[in-house]
Amino acid sequence: MFLCLDSLTRTFGSFTALHDVTLRLEPGRIGLLGPNGAGKSTLLKILMGLLPPTSGSGTVLGLDLRTGGNELRRRIGFMPEADALVPGLTGLEYVTLAGELYGMPRRQAQRRSHEVLSYVALDEARFRKVEDYSLGMKQRVKLAQALVHDPAALLLDEPTSGLDPAGRDVMLNLIRELGRDHGKTIVLSTHLLADVQAVCDQVVVVAGGHVRSQGTTATMCTSRSDRWRVKVQGEPTRFLADLTAGGATVIAADGRGEFRIAVPQPWSNRRFFQLAEANAVTLRSIVRDDESVEEFFLRTVNAA
Amino acid sequence: MTPTDALLRYRPWTGEFRPPICASWAMARSSLRLMMRRKLFWALYALAALIFFFFFYGQYLVVWIQLQTANQSVPVLGINVRIGDFLKFLDRLNLNGSAHTFGNFIWFQGYISTIVLAMAGAVLIGNDFHHGSLPFYLAKPIDKRHYLLGKILGIGLFVNLLTTLPALILYFQAGLLYDWQTYYFEHLRELVGILAYGLLLTCSLGLLLTATAVWVKRTVPLIMIWAGLFVLCRMLGNFLVDGQRFDERWRLIDLWNDLYLVGLWCLGADPITDRAGPQPQPWEALLVIVAVGLLSAAFLRNRIQGVEVVS
Repeated sequence: MFLCLDSLTRTFGSFTALHDVTLRLEPGRIGLLGPNGAGKSTLLKILMGLLPPTSGSGTVLGLDLRTGGNELRRRIGFMPEADALVPGLTGLEYVTLAGELYGMPRRQAQRRSHEVLSYVALDEARFRKVEDYSLGMKQRVKLAQALVHDPAALLLDEPTSGLDPAGRDVMLNLIRELGRDHGKTIVLSTHLLADVQAVCDQVVVVAGGHVRSQGTTATMCTSRSDRWRVKVQGEPTRFLADLTAGGATVIAADGRGEFRIAVPQPWSNRRFFQLAEANAVTLRSIVRDDESVEEFFLRTVNAA
Repeated sequence: MTPTDALLRYRPWTGEFRPPICASWAMARSSLRLMMRRKLFWALYALAALIFFFFFYGQYLVVWIQLQTANQSVPVLGINVRIGDFLKFLDRLNLNGSAHTFGNFIWFQGYISTIVLAMAGAVLIGNDFHHGSLPFYLAKPIDKRHYLLGKILGIGLFVNLLTTLPALILYFQAGLLYDWQTYYFEHLRELVGILAYGLLLTCSLGLLLTATAVWVKRTVPLIMIWAGLFVLCRMLGNFLVDGQRFDERWRLIDLWNDLYLVGLWCLGADPITDRAGPQPQPWEALLVIVAVGLLSAAFLRNRIQGVEVVS
């Protein structure tokens, strides 16, 4: 078990940032989704042992949140969203300093810095000052400093923030590879739902200080049997009217003959063909309308 | 898989971690590196070197004159002046391996280091807040005590490189110039005083710089505040005591003078013989320094919170 929280609450004066959070997460690639002010940052601070919970208890990597402190942060690599660079140092010195701050001996920190900078494709830029790096390079050097001590888990706060599409792909590939091929547990805190969909196998949705939903990406972006995408050739008005009369609901139309339709249960797709024949239209495709993480997120947050 | 591919792949690391106190040392080394990289500061380092060489060769010159040429004379502007008379002038500079030699030397060098620190405060500490580097430090297995210790240690290293270390060289040089078999034993108080003065400067300037840099973050306001503390307060103290004949305790607002008084006390020198005008007692100056240090520490305690890691 990577994470185990029981009735965790954190208040700041009269404001409650986290309400009675109970969560169990297995190691893997975990997406932490939530709008601004949802409580994600407070949760990250608590997971790093920087902020004690007001009430409740929990463990991360088997270490108690209240007493884990430095040992907890030693097992976790944190990539902050803010610049968090030390102007004046080269990439190599910056990552080496991070290694030494984690407690690595100096020589080993230097050797390891060369390795991780090569891994994040910054080997040619390692002797340049970090303030001269491009945005993508800054993000990668921040990932390198989080990786330098080979932690069991990585907390990544908006790792693709501000990156161009190519840079974003590189970063997501690195994160996915670290989780999939090297057994790192990744906690990806982001508002970019596509990042979660691309990388994570588990999702936790936080809103209003509550955990609104939790599960695997596959389960949560479920293949729904009550929604279909139907593409029609011909005049669809009467076809859609008959569908509606039969209890179905047209959710959306793309203007090019494709409709998203919610159907009542039980339902057989034979009915689409019958109505198409009756209304002289041709069905070009019928595919299940799976819910994306984005839709899932909006549905969950709106429900909250 | 080619060797290059293998190199680019992620490799696990196994090793022993060291205690958090070692992280403070790493931070101090980085701070020193950052200060040495600023080309602007090298002019001040050159000035510091000049002061050191003045004292170094001045001590040598005084001994040489005493031993070799005290009864000879040299023409100055057409007038023959006995070289022995030069010694009276040089006596005022105290270039004789006494407590005042080291007190004066640290006074001058301390000024240089204070100017450099005023300009470097934003680089060393202000940037951690201004550019968001604080999360980089506090997300590591150290707490704010180690962070502060690392920063103050870095400042202390710099101050001691400019003051204590060259003062120790002057001390050992003086021993070699005079009778080394007796000098070191008879002047042990000066040795302890140099180390204590260095420690005093390290702690007081370290805490004060960290607190002011955390407060104002940027270079120009930091320089203005330090100019106020070390120049304006000094002028005001002198004006009140020497000009308006106020009680000498008004001079306590001059923090640099307070450090000097306590430094001279550590060296075993009488400040009255060295400073013009009435001076407060060294213990009063020490109280002011301790109060400033405690205020700075209390401010830092409240300001540097681990919760700022994830903004």
